Amino acid sequence: MSTFLFAVVSGILFGVFFSLMAIGLNFAFGVMKIVNLAHGDFVMLGAFGAYYALSTFGINPFATMIMEIVVFLVVGVGLYYGIIPRLLRSDDPEMLSLILFFGISQVIEALATLAFGTNPVTLPTNALGQLSFQLFGQAFESSWVISFLVSVVAIGLLYVYLYKTKMGIATRAIMANRDEAAASGIDVNRISAIAFGIALVLAAIAGTLTPFMLGGIYPSVGVNLTITSFSIIVIGSLGNPIGTVVGGLVYGLSLLLMQTYLSSWANMVPYVLLILILLIKPSGLLGKGARNA
Amino acid sequence: MTGTDQQAQVKNTVSLLDVSGVKTGYDDLQILWDLSINVQRGERVIVLGANGAGKTTLLKTLVGLLPVWEGAIHLNGEPVQTLRIDKRISRGISYLSEVGVVAGLTIEENLRIGGYHLASGAARSQMAVMYDSFPDLKVRRRETASSLSGGQRKMLAVAKALMSRPRLVIMDEPSAGLSPLFVTEVISMVNRFHDDGISFLIAEQNVKFLEIADRVYVLDAGRMIFTGTVEELHRNDALERAYFGVYG
Ligand SMILES: Nc1ncnc2c1ncn2[C@@H]1O[C@H](COP(=O)(O)OP(=O)(O)OP(=O)(O)O)[C@@H](O)[C@H]1O
Ligand SMILES: [Mg+2]
Repeated sequence: MSTFLFAVVSGILFGVFFSLMAIGLNFAFGVMKIVNLAHGDFVMLGAFGAYYALSTFGINPFATMIMEIVVFLVVGVGLYYGIIPRLLRSDDPEMLSLILFFGISQVIEALATLAFGTNPVTLPTNALGQLSFQLFGQAFESSWVISFLVSVVAIGLLYVYLYKTKMGIATRAIMANRDEAAASGIDVNRISAIAFGIALVLAAIAGTLTPFMLGGIYPSVGVNLTITSFSIIVIGSLGNPIGTVVGGLVYGLSLLLMQTYLSSWANMVPYVLLILILLIKPSGLLGKGARNA
Repeated sequence: MTGTDQQAQVKNTVSLLDVSGVKTGYDDLQILWDLSINVQRGERVIVLGANGAGKTTLLKTLVGLLPVWEGAIHLNGEPVQTLRIDKRISRGISYLSEVGVVAGLTIEENLRIGGYHLASGAARSQMAVMYDSFPDLKVRRRETASSLSGGQRKMLAVAKALMSRPRLVIMDEPSAGLSPLFVTEVISMVNRFHDDGISFLIAEQNVKFLEIADRVYVLDAGRMIFTGTVEELHRNDALERAYFGVYG
């Protein structure tokens, strides 16, 4: 029984972290209707940032996180203006964007391999801080709990931005109806660029936590993280950032329960969940009704 | 005459909106041919046109959602044809599209979007003005626009378009899909805000709007085939038959 409870609580801790990892992908999709196939590579870069900052310069992961927030925001906005308006003007933006972001993913992975090699690197799990947390008589790793808390705060801030600020409401207007948003006088490109920047910032925050949650980091892990993120957002429902939390929890719980009881099958979890959801409820657990809300 | 007097003089003779020789279309397909219209301060101008005549295309061009191929658009004497839509809106144009609202947002959020370029204090006070004029919207302000009926949605669209404190409101078929009761309500709202000094350019097929027209244009296959007052329109046999025949 205690094994089960441990798996459930860990599943929730990991689930919320996975939600954070995936939410930027869904947010960018909601705004631009483009799947950023390089999303996991940005998470991977965020993770290597945390690794090098700590192992080479002794910089605390939280300080790295703040630096990465600035850098990824600038990169995201720049990348948006560099490619997206051009993409949207093309005849087949969906297809072209898949190819383009797949290319960006490959380039990032290749450059990361040159820079960091292919061997996984790890960080001591206590580097994120100490925090004792007990539930049902079980102690949980402090890095898990801290990552969980950081994820809750980051997702909460995204929610506040989207629902309580004028720019966030404008962002949701674009997600709901790009043409009507433009007709209302919203500068669609500027707001979308900021949204893409925020999407990468969320990837970076998840990235700095990744070494503490998922262990060894290596350049080609980016692809796996993209697939995991993609499964989570499809489970939660595509285009609805808040639905991603549901997707993340479903994924986290399934993964941890599998690792506990059928560990050799655990790697298949994202694929199995993805196929199941596409067969049973293709619009995601939060379905159409909540899609643009 | 002092300099400011002269400026005032110029301001009074310059049209609020002046469109001359505009050509535009989609990709290579030309839709509007050498189109010229103007709106004077305080006027309610109706553009009549059948389905596919090019009304929406014209309005989109005026607000900046479609580029001008040739010709000029002046707002208050200033050229605006190269400005983005958000810049035109902050200069006093506002646009009620065929859709009019963002269905997925709440009523209050729609109004905030309408007043997007206003400072937050100005937006708040303008929202209070809108809630005074549209009390139903105030009651339901936390509900999503998709929960409103077609008529209520149109009233929200009108309020949203007025949120930006415009000098000129450009409306694309505000009567489309509305019951006669709601058409009357939209017309009375136009009059109410016209009394406050706002000018209107309204594309319509519904001749009921001619009741409030100071001037009428008739658009046909991308060309203006008539401009004048409502009486002059009635005196034109062909147009009289085309637009009033079914009713008369
Ligand atoms: N996005 C588009 N791409 C190509 N052609 C278009 C596009 N939108 C409209 N058209 C064409 O332009 C012409 C004018 O269309 P427009 O929508 O301006 O007419 P309208 O007067 O607004 O009609 P309605 O009363 O039906 O709204 C039509 O022939 C239409 O087929
Ligand atoms: Mg139209």
